Amino acid sequence: MAREIYAYKCRKCGHTHYPYRMVCKSCGENEHNEFDQVPLPKRGKLLTWTRAYSLPADFEVPSLGLAIVELENGIRMTGQLRVDDPRMGMDVRGEVEIVRREGYDERYGMVFYEA
Amino acid sequence: MRSVYVIGIGITSFTRLEYPLSEIAAYPAMMAMKDAGRKEIDHLYVANMGSGRVNHQTGLASAVVDTLSLTPAGAEAIENGPASGASAIKTGYMAVASGVHDVVMVTGAERMREVNNLEATEFVATLTHPLAEYIYGVTLPSLAAMFTRLYMEKYGVTERHLAMVAVKNQNNALKNEFAHLQQEISIEGILDSPEAMTNNPYVAEPLRFFDCCPVSDGGACVILASEEVARKVERPLVRLAGVGQATDTHAVHEREEPTDLLAVRRAAAKSFEMAGLAPSDVDVAELHDAFTILEIVESEEVGFFPKGEGHLALERGETAIGGTLPINPSGGLKGRGHPVGATGIAQAHEIVHQLRGDAGERQVKDAKVGFTCNFGGFGNNVVCLTFVRGN
Repeated sequence: MAREIYAYKCRKCGHTHYPYRMVCKSCGENEHNEFDQVPLPKRGKLLTWTRAYSLPADFEVPSLGLAIVELENGIRMTGQLRVDDPRMGMDVRGEVEIVRREGYDERYGMVFYEA
Repeated sequence: MRSVYVIGIGITSFTRLEYPLSEIAAYPAMMAMKDAGRKEIDHLYVANMGSGRVNHQTGLASAVVDTLSLTPAGAEAIENGPASGASAIKTGYMAVASGVHDVVMVTGAERMREVNNLEATEFVATLTHPLAEYIYGVTLPSLAAMFTRLYMEKYGVTERHLAMVAVKNQNNALKNEFAHLQQEISIEGILDSPEAMTNNPYVAEPLRFFDCCPVSDGGACVILASEEVARKVERPLVRLAGVGQATDTHAVHEREEPTDLLAVRRAAAKSFEMAGLAPSDVDVAELHDAFTILEIVESEEVGFFPKGEGHLALERGETAIGGTLPINPSGGLKGRGHPVGATGIAQAHEIVHQLRGDAGERQVKDAKVGFTCNFGGFGNNVVCLTFVRGN
């Protein structure tokens, strides 16, 4: 089964948040956990990106592509970028993969490729 | 509310320091007490971000108050990321303005060189959103880099503009004996020469090594007091006239307009409103140039220049010492260094020197109004202060 990353849709006003927050930023709804989980779309456009060379010690690679992507439904997310020649505005597709290993812990997140 | 004045200031060299963190906080405090000519302190605030994580020491305020033999005065640490310094000053302001205390010491310190550069970068990266940013390897330089790319695209800022900020601030630091970087640089050396890519490699494209502040140890202190106390101190009066703070979304990608820094705009507006002044009244400013792009953008968001025109003012030399609005005469974070918890206080320290008229070679002529912007996270928590000479 394909892994998903979830956004949080307010049951009162429909505003969708990513990442999670406990109180809706749009309507202020304050009942506990009044959000529906909705999977983030996997396709979008590259808003901005960088290739970083000074990395936290967990990353034993010389450099890492990072990006902010505007997804099909207008929500933005940060993720890793594996594209040789990134261009702002290009179409990208995401896959949920291991993005960080901390000791024996494996952390999953979105990795973007050229669409 | 009562008026609040700065009666004493002190600072350490910003560099690698070989003495303990509590002493890095205490040494500028002793200088500040000497500067003010008094040792009676009602309360102590210690600004620091990483003592628990980097130095394996918690309860820093208790250590500092005892190191200074100021017990039984009250003391606590204030942590607000890289804006801890100005947050602590704001807290001290409230303590004096409210009448709870008459004399409050605000000292900030960080000892980041205890760990290597990768661990220091990792420590600062813990400011980012744990699930939506941090897990990916996002660091502050990479957030600044992605922001810079958008700014270049939208407003025509170039790598040359960024290098101009680096050269201006790092060369201002040559006039500041406490500054970390004491090396003259040129556009030729960091951008145009065949060796530039070796001298100045990318840290996070399009930001290069010389676009980023150094990792520093250091401490700085200001003592705040009521007017009654300040009038007895033999130092030119400097009043803390406005404090403003604002926050923004934790995850940077959630900002509606990704090239805005709304928390800077709002914190500055609140600070000016409280002071009853406008951005056009400012004679000298210390802005939070952890990355060169930030000086340009903050100079717009606080209201000095129209949005998207900060780099044009830079080109015209307006922000140089001797320009119409000098920014970061101390060298800024870029040249002076950035011991995170101390930075906001070091900014205030510079402005007090400027308003007293004793800033030496880097003195801005006849400075009457000074302004600081201390930027926490990647713009998610910002504190701005406005200072006025005399009453």
